[in-house]
Amino acid sequence: MNEKQKNIRNFSIIAHIDHGKSTLADRILEYCNAVTKREMEEQLLDNMDLERERGITIKARAVRIDYTHKDGQNYILNLIDTPGHVDFNYEVSRSLNACEGALLVVDATQGIEAQTLANAYLAVDCDLEIVPVINKIDLPSADVDRVRNEIEDVIGVLAEDCPAVSAKVGLNIDQVLDAVIEKIPAPKGDESAPLKCLIFDSYYNSYLGVVVYVRVMDGTLKAGDKIKLMSTNAQYDVVEVGHLNAFGLQKADSLSAGEVGYITASIKTVSETRVGDTVTTVENGATEPLQGFKEALPMVFSGIYPADGARYNDLREALEKLQLNDAALSFEPETSIALGFGFRCGFLGLLHMEIIQERLEREFNLDLITTAPSVIYKIEKTNGETIYIDNPSNYPSNDTIATAYEPTVKASIITPTEFVGGIMDLCQDRRGIFKDMKYLDSQRVELHYIMPLNEIVYDFFDALKSRSKGYASLDYELAGYEPSNLVKLDFLLNGEIVDALTFIVHSEKAYTRARKIAEKLKENISRQLFEIPIQAAIGTKVIARETVKALRKDVLAKCYGGDITRKKKLLEKQKEGKKKMRRLGSVEVTPEAFMAVLKLDDSEK
Amino acid sequence: MSKKLGLYIHIPFCKQKCNYCDFYSLGCQESKIPSYIEALCQHIKREAPLYKDYEIDTVFLGGGTPSLVEPKEFEKLADTIKGSLKIIQDAEFSIEANPGTLTKEKLNCYIKNGVNRISIGLQSTSDTELKALGRIHDLKEFKESYSLARKCGLNNINIDIMYGLPNQRLDDLAKTIENVCEFNPEHISAYCLKIEENTPFYKMRDSLILPNDDEEYEMYIYLCNELKKQGYEQYEISNFSKKGARCVHNLKYWLSEEYIGFGPSAHSYFNGKRYYYEDSVEKYIKSLECVDNLPKKHYEEETALKENSMDEYVMLKMRLSDGINEQDFKEKFGVSFISEYPSVLSYIKNGYVKQENNSYSFTPKGFFVSNYILSQILKFN
Repeated sequence: MNEKQKNIRNFSIIAHIDHGKSTLADRILEYCNAVTKREMEEQLLDNMDLERERGITIKARAVRIDYTHKDGQNYILNLIDTPGHVDFNYEVSRSLNACEGALLVVDATQGIEAQTLANAYLAVDCDLEIVPVINKIDLPSADVDRVRNEIEDVIGVLAEDCPAVSAKVGLNIDQVLDAVIEKIPAPKGDESAPLKCLIFDSYYNSYLGVVVYVRVMDGTLKAGDKIKLMSTNAQYDVVEVGHLNAFGLQKADSLSAGEVGYITASIKTVSETRVGDTVTTVENGATEPLQGFKEALPMVFSGIYPADGARYNDLREALEKLQLNDAALSFEPETSIALGFGFRCGFLGLLHMEIIQERLEREFNLDLITTAPSVIYKIEKTNGETIYIDNPSNYPSNDTIATAYEPTVKASIITPTEFVGGIMDLCQDRRGIFKDMKYLDSQRVELHYIMPLNEIVYDFFDALKSRSKGYASLDYELAGYEPSNLVKLDFLLNGEIVDALTFIVHSEKAYTRARKIAEKLKENISRQLFEIPIQAAIGTKVIARETVKALRKDVLAKCYGGDITRKKKLLEKQKEGKKKMRRLGSVEVTPEAFMAVLKLDDSEK
Repeated sequence: MSKKLGLYIHIPFCKQKCNYCDFYSLGCQESKIPSYIEALCQHIKREAPLYKDYEIDTVFLGGGTPSLVEPKEFEKLADTIKGSLKIIQDAEFSIEANPGTLTKEKLNCYIKNGVNRISIGLQSTSDTELKALGRIHDLKEFKESYSLARKCGLNNINIDIMYGLPNQRLDDLAKTIENVCEFNPEHISAYCLKIEENTPFYKMRDSLILPNDDEEYEMYIYLCNELKKQGYEQYEISNFSKKGARCVHNLKYWLSEEYIGFGPSAHSYFNGKRYYYEDSVEKYIKSLECVDNLPKKHYEEETALKENSMDEYVMLKMRLSDGINEQDFKEKFGVSFISEYPSVLSYIKNGYVKQENNSYSFTPKGFFVSNYILSQILKFN
C-alpha cells in the first residue's frame, strides 16, 4: 500500500428500502462540508424525481469527499451509493466490488429485513468489511439493543460498539466517520501494474458522451491513453479522467490504483460500457479481466403499447432515451391484433418494470397499455430444437413440445411470526416449494422457498404485503430452469382470440385462473348492442365461459323544458369515452378493462 | 307571414319536492309567488320589443307546480303575456298541474284566459308507489282533479306517468297503464325514473330496490306496445297521443323551432342561439327590481355538437318517431342523410332503426338505446 492509498476509503452504504440509506449519505456529505447546508438538497445522491418520491435509489452514484479526521490527517472518502432493490442485485454487487467496506444501515424500529440480509450477503461475498450502523434512534419505538443482538445473531458481525445514529436529525454522524476511517481498510493495488478498472456505473451526457464510473484496481490511467473494454475488445481514446464531487465531474491528471473516478472517451451509448466490465490499456494491458462480469439480462417481459396508437413513435423515442442510461432495458417492436403497434420490453424485475412504465408516463407524458408480465420459458421441441419464449402468444402448441421449462427463484421472506400462516398459504398457492424457516428472534422469521418466477411476476408482492399488513419483506434471486407442466391460456371475445390477454400458466392452475379472468373481463367490458361471449381456452378446449349481456338501455328519457345542452353534453361525454376504446374485432374494450384484468389478486378469496 | 315562436314560463314552486325530482323548484315557499309573478311580468314587458316580429303559437306553463298560482296572479301573468306579445288565435296553451292543487275556480280562470291543454302529474295509480315517490296526492285526489278538468270543458288532457319505480314490477306498471287508459286522456307522457344527484332518492339509493336495465327495457317495450293497442301513437321517446293531440310546444324542441323561456332555469333557443337563466328565484327577482335591468343570459358553450349543425339536427329529430326524412334533410343541408350518416343503415337489420317512406327513425327498442347509437353515428366535428 502506498502513501496515497493509505488515506483513501472506498465504501458503500447498503440497507433495506426506507431504512435511511440516502439520508445517511446526505448527512455524511454535510458533516464533511462536501456540501453546505444551503446547497443541500434533500437526498442529494438520488437525482431522479422518481427516486426521491419512492425513496429508493435506482442507479448507483458515487461521490468523492475530502475529509480531515480528528487525527489531523486528510482523507479521501469515496462513497458509492448502490441501488437498494433486488432487481438491481447485480449492479449492487459490482458497486460493492469497487469498495473495501460497507456501512450496513439497519432501522432501529424495524430490525433486519429481507434486503438487509441479501445486501449483507452480497457484501460478505465481496470480502468487504461490514460496519453496521443503527439508524432512526430518534424514533420512540427504536430498540437499539434488540437490533444490535439481531445483527450479531443473524449476520454474524460484531455490533456491540457500532454507531447508533439518527440520520434524520444528524445525531452521532461523527461516530460513523470514525468507523469509516478506523474499521474500513485502505485500498491496495499496484500503480505500476497493467491497468485494471472496474466499471460500476455509467450515464449518457449529451456533451461528453458516456461518462464511465470506475474503480481503478491496478495501474494508472490518464487522458490520451488508448483503452479497451475487455468483454467486447472495443477500443477508445480517453478524452478526460477525473473525480466525482458532490456537484459533478472534476477533471484530474490521472487516476491510479485505489482511486474512484470517471472516464470519458467519446463513447456513444451506455450499452457499450456494461457494469462489471474491465477497462485496460490497449498496450501493455492486463491479460485477465476482473472476475464476476456478466451481462445484466432481463427476466421479466411485458408488451407496452401507447393508449393512443398515433403516439407509437413518441413511445419509441421515449424508450430510446431511457435506454441511453439503462443498458438493462431491452425493447423490440411487436404487433398485437388487439393493441396495435407497441414494444416487447425486457426488465431486470418487477420494480424495474414499474419504474420504466412510470417514467414513460410521467417524463414523456404517454398513456400506456401494458400486457401481463411474462418470464422467459425454455422449450425443448419434439424436433430437438430449443427455443426461448418471452411473449405468451408465441408459445408453441403442446404437441410440438417435448419438455417445457420455467425459471425459478430462491425467495427469502422475512415476516413477523403472526403472519407466517397466511404467507405460507400464499407461497403454497403460488407453487412454492418450502425449503426452511429460521427464527431471527422471537418475533420474526425468515422463510425460504423455491418458487416459479411466473408466479411472482404480477401481484405476489402486493399479496404478500396485504397478508402481512405491509410488514413482510421479499428478496429473490434466480435459481435456474425447472421442467414444468405449462399450458397456454387464450381468451376469446365474441369468438376471437385477444392476443394481448394470452398467458402461460401451470396446468393445475389453469381452471381457476381462467375463471377468474373471465369474470374480471365480464365486469369490465361494458354492454354493447349484442351479447358478447367471453371464453377461456387451452387450444380448442374452452375451460371457462362468461357472457356480457346485450345493452338494453342507454337513453335520456326526459329532456325537460328544452334543455338540449344537457343531452348534447351527455352524448359528447359518451363519445369521448368511445375514443379511448380499443376495438377487438367487433367488441369495444376500454384500456381500463385490460389493466383490471392484469391486477388480478388471487389472495382475495 | 311573421315568424313563429314558442313561449315557456317556468313556475319553480311546489307544495313539497318529490323524492326523485331534480328540476329547479322550491318547496314550501308559495309566499314568494306574487313577487315572482311580478318579476316575470316585468321581464316579459321589458323584452317584448325583441319579439315584435314574432307570433307566439304555443304557450307552456311548466314547473314546479304552475297550478299553485292563484287566479289573481294567473290573470295578471296572462294579461301581461297577451298585452306584450302577439299570441295567435288558436295557440296551444298548456299548463302543468298536480292533483290536490286544482280547484274549479282556478280551472275556470285558466280557461277564461286561454288555457286549452292541461298536463296532470299522476305518475302511478298505486297509492303505495305514490307514497314512495313522495307525491302529495293519492289516486282519489287525481280522479277528482281529472274529472273537474273535464267538467270545466278541457278536451286536451295529458297524464304523466313513470316507470322503473322502486319495487315496481311489470305487472304493477301494467295496472297503472290500464287505469290511465280508462281515463281516456288525449295524451300520455311516460318517463323512466332516473336517480339524480341532489334528490332524496339519491341519498337513499343504496336501500332502494330498483328494476335493472333489462327489466326497465321490458317495461318500456310493454308500454309502447300497450299504448299503441289502446290507440295512442308514440311520437317521441316518452310521449304518446291520440290522433291530432301531439304537444305542439314540446315538438318545437325536436324540430329545431325557436322558443323563448322566462324564469330561473328556463331555456331558450332564439335567433339561432341557445341560452338559459340561472336557477335562483331570488336572483331572478332581484335582477328585475331595477328598472331597465334584465337577468343574465347564459349562452351555450361551444361544444362538439355545434349549434344548428347537421349533428344537432340529427340528434334532435331522432327523438321523434317521424325521424329524419331524406327529402327534408336534402332541402335543409343540400346532401343526402344516408350518405352523410351511412352507419345508420347497420342498425336496421337488428331492428333498432326502421326505414319507411324515405324516412329513418328509431323503433321502440332503438329509442331505448338511442344515446348509444347516436354517440356512434354522429360525427362530433
